[in-house]
Amino acid sequence: MTREQMLSELKEFVGRELLGGRDDGLDEHTPLLAWGVIDSLSVAELVSFTSERFEIEVPQTEVKPENLKNLDTYVGLLTRLA
Amino acid sequence: MRLERLVADSAARHPDRPAIRDDQGELSYRELDALADRAAGALAELGVRRGDRVAVWLNRSGMAVAVMQGALRLGAAYVPVDPLSPPARAGTIMRDCRIAALVAPQDRSGSVLEGELAEVPLLAADPSAGSFASAGVDRVGAVSPPADANEDDLAYILYTSGSTGVPKGVCISHRNALAFVEWAVREVDAQADDRFSNHAPFHFDLSVFDLYAAFLVGGCVSIVPEHHAYVPRTLVEFAVRERISIWYAVPSALMLMVDRGGLLEAPGLEFRTVIFAGEPYPIKQLRRLREGLPAVRMFNWYGPTETNVCTGYEVVEIAPDRTAPVPIGHAASGDRVWAVKDDGSEAGVGEEGELLVSGPTVSLGYWGRDPQGDAPYRTGDIVRQEPTGEYEYVGRRDQMVKIRGHRVELGEVEAALLAHPALHDVAVAVAGSGIEARLVAFLTSSGDPPSLLEIKRLCAERVPRHMIVDSVVVVDELPRTRNGKVDRLALRRMAQDEEGRSDARADAERIEGVRRP
Repeated sequence: MTREQMLSELKEFVGRELLGGRDDGLDEHTPLLAWGVIDSLSVAELVSFTSERFEIEVPQTEVKPENLKNLDTYVGLLTRLA
Repeated sequence: MRLERLVADSAARHPDRPAIRDDQGELSYRELDALADRAAGALAELGVRRGDRVAVWLNRSGMAVAVMQGALRLGAAYVPVDPLSPPARAGTIMRDCRIAALVAPQDRSGSVLEGELAEVPLLAADPSAGSFASAGVDRVGAVSPPADANEDDLAYILYTSGSTGVPKGVCISHRNALAFVEWAVREVDAQADDRFSNHAPFHFDLSVFDLYAAFLVGGCVSIVPEHHAYVPRTLVEFAVRERISIWYAVPSALMLMVDRGGLLEAPGLEFRTVIFAGEPYPIKQLRRLREGLPAVRMFNWYGPTETNVCTGYEVVEIAPDRTAPVPIGHAASGDRVWAVKDDGSEAGVGEEGELLVSGPTVSLGYWGRDPQGDAPYRTGDIVRQEPTGEYEYVGRRDQMVKIRGHRVELGEVEAALLAHPALHDVAVAVAGSGIEARLVAFLTSSGDPPSLLEIKRLCAERVPRHMIVDSVVVVDELPRTRNGKVDRLALRRMAQDEEGRSDARADAERIEGVRRP
């Protein structure tokens, strides 16, 4: 799967599950933590979606603010882990 | 007695004992004492004097603690500012109490030191590098507070959410803080070999216990790294690894640790005492914790920032038929508490009334407003005294709510949202409780209503992270009572319905296989 495909699927997931079904305005640089799009509860959903959809397991040690800053940093992490 | 004496005295008694541990390492009492002196020297060089306020905009760390101690050693007060606070709100706080200096990382400081604050000197510090970046901090030499410094001096200001949209600064004296800390140490029988955790941010009053109870007994406080909040299992691993014996946190954090972190099954856990405060602990969840850790003493503490902890209750056992949260208990910290009915008379046993507090922990008042003096503090919390003499928490008089233990004035969130030009009218309500508590915004809008993302951005620029709205409902008009005020009760019901609907939607999708659990 390409980086663009991953980004687009993650964007769709975040819009659907965390933003009430609307992903307009959401892009890879939208601050996910700073804007409260994901929090300590929804981060688990994001990680489990990643595991199911991309078959990439995100270790607990990587679930940290640097990696969750936005979709760009998250996909960067997934690329390193894949 | 003053707060800076606690570190200095422990450093004199047992200099080599560990005082504080963070992700950069460990500081012994000798090292913390020396670092506090260096911070005091640097702040003095920037012009900080007795009676001044120093804003500390740093992540929780040994360095932040040294800076707080340093300010106190000059007879000044410190103002911890939420590291996650947007610059606009941090700036509002710093202007409100007219800070004499700011301690922050260089890159963060630029966002606030402008306009009215442009001339404020900066002590650049970076806890993640474990060093001060400014010159002048290498000067060694003990700093003693000015001779006239006393325990009635302002020690720190904690800013809490304000109902009109502007945060309020609660002014705490050395005497206020120590009355609580000394009581707390006796109550939980804290000892020098205890290991305390620090989970709460420094602008949140729970952290006062973590730091100063540890320093009073000469124990060690381990700072929970910020990013552990995202993975409950790592929080539990932290507690085991750091051999924490006294854990103090909001119920939401404990519930996450039990539900998703395996707290009750964790091998090697050394908890001796668990304390929670900030919001009611749902009884079923608390029963699990109580039964799961039978050897651990557990306390429910209560008190708004304005009084620190003013009542306490030890949770020994929970009756099997109990459905309400455990009581908030009896008066604590040398305070007197009583309940007053709407007609002004004192509530009797079994009657509901607003809880009033007087005594040594009642704050000096809000910064920039009339001093509290000897007047009792009205908590705004409705309580009921049981025949046992214990108080039970019933609810709030006003629009203040709790989100994972943090105090949120709905008016502050509403004021942030009204900054949007297309929004006519907004009202915010809470759905759910405990970990599941969510802020729901109801809006009326001309034209295209803004998206949830847009609303979140708007909040993020003006309020701290725990006040960011979780969902949005567009309505034709807000529900109103007969006299035209927003009908808060109806709103709360609408918010609960909305959350129920989105849960049902998610369940339906799971069944359809769109989203597997």
